[in-house]
Amino acid sequence: MTTYSFDRFSVLVAEDNSYLSTLVLQCLKAIGVGNVRTAADGGEAIDILNLMKKDPTKAGLMSVDLIISNWQMSPVDGLMLLRWVRRHKDSPHRFIPFIMLTGFADREKVSQARDMGVTEIIAKPFSVTSIAKRLIQVIDRPRQFVHTPEYFGPDRRRRDAGGPNNQERRVMREDQIEIIYD
Amino acid sequence: MTEAPAENSQPRKITVRYYRFRNSLKEKGLGGQVPSGPGSISEEALAAAQEQFEKMAEDYPDWVQSVLTRLHEQHSRCVDTPELRHQCFKRLNEIAHDMKGQGGTFGFNLISSFAVSLYDFTKPRDSYNDAVVELVKAHVDAMKAVIAGRIRGDGGEIGTELTQSLHKAIEKYELVD
Repeated sequence: MTTYSFDRFSVLVAEDNSYLSTLVLQCLKAIGVGNVRTAADGGEAIDILNLMKKDPTKAGLMSVDLIISNWQMSPVDGLMLLRWVRRHKDSPHRFIPFIMLTGFADREKVSQARDMGVTEIIAKPFSVTSIAKRLIQVIDRPRQFVHTPEYFGPDRRRRDAGGPNNQERRVMREDQIEIIYD
Repeated sequence: MTEAPAENSQPRKITVRYYRFRNSLKEKGLGGQVPSGPGSISEEALAAAQEQFEKMAEDYPDWVQSVLTRLHEQHSRCVDTPELRHQCFKRLNEIAHDMKGQGGTFGFNLISSFAVSLYDFTKPRDSYNDAVVELVKAHVDAMKAVIAGRIRGDGGEIGTELTQSLHKAIEKYELVD
């Protein structure tokens, strides 16, 4: 199996807990991630992304390949950051993989993040293995992005299966669908 | 799929767009090589990350003291200023939420377990009476005991005792409430 090299990767970590932020940073550095930036909350992460878009040199960041964010932060939490990244006109990269770290384990919260366009969720408590597993998942199993009037984000269906209860509830006629390749 | 509509047909009303991009992240990870099959993280890199993780886990008991102090301060505020209990509980709830994920991450599963209980218990409620405040203290004391004794995992017998003691305090509160 091929081994990935992460030295060209840039990761933005938004975590208000300094200890966990350092932990994630150290782990990413240890696996060889070339550039890791940390932000103390979603607002600071947005500031960094805004600056990167306007003046990459000043931001010290040419691009971000992945965002790892805690959910519960103040004043701007992880879900608000995700919403900004996916929907705001100033977002530098609306398709960026976004991993949410969260102590919220209930189904409702997971659905909320999923419907906002999260790529992966890592439940706290987490481990090196859980971070590594999600990182590989993001790289090896990217999902197409879906844009509908109600949703923008990675395809919420991971497999080529029918919808809930095997009922296909999605569209519809071919002429209503557009597929965009890069 | 993106071909032009036939003449005289109605304009297409696109309701869904699928974006299918090439996997640039994988290309980056492979240093420009042609992507093929799943990849992995090297054993050495994972071991280095694990080492960092364990080093930080060793320091966790010292670091978490400041969090326990914050819990203790909020409890003291509840005692001293009953009219502010609603705010204090909100803060306690936020701290407990943070601790849920921290403790277990560093091997202190009982911290996570007690934090889950404190988190549930400090959600908005109708009354913030003295019994509720006492139960907050029982949680903080139990967490302090875990850290003071460096009790990792389920804590064996001591862990069971601490858990039972906290459950008794909760049961007592439920009888009073």
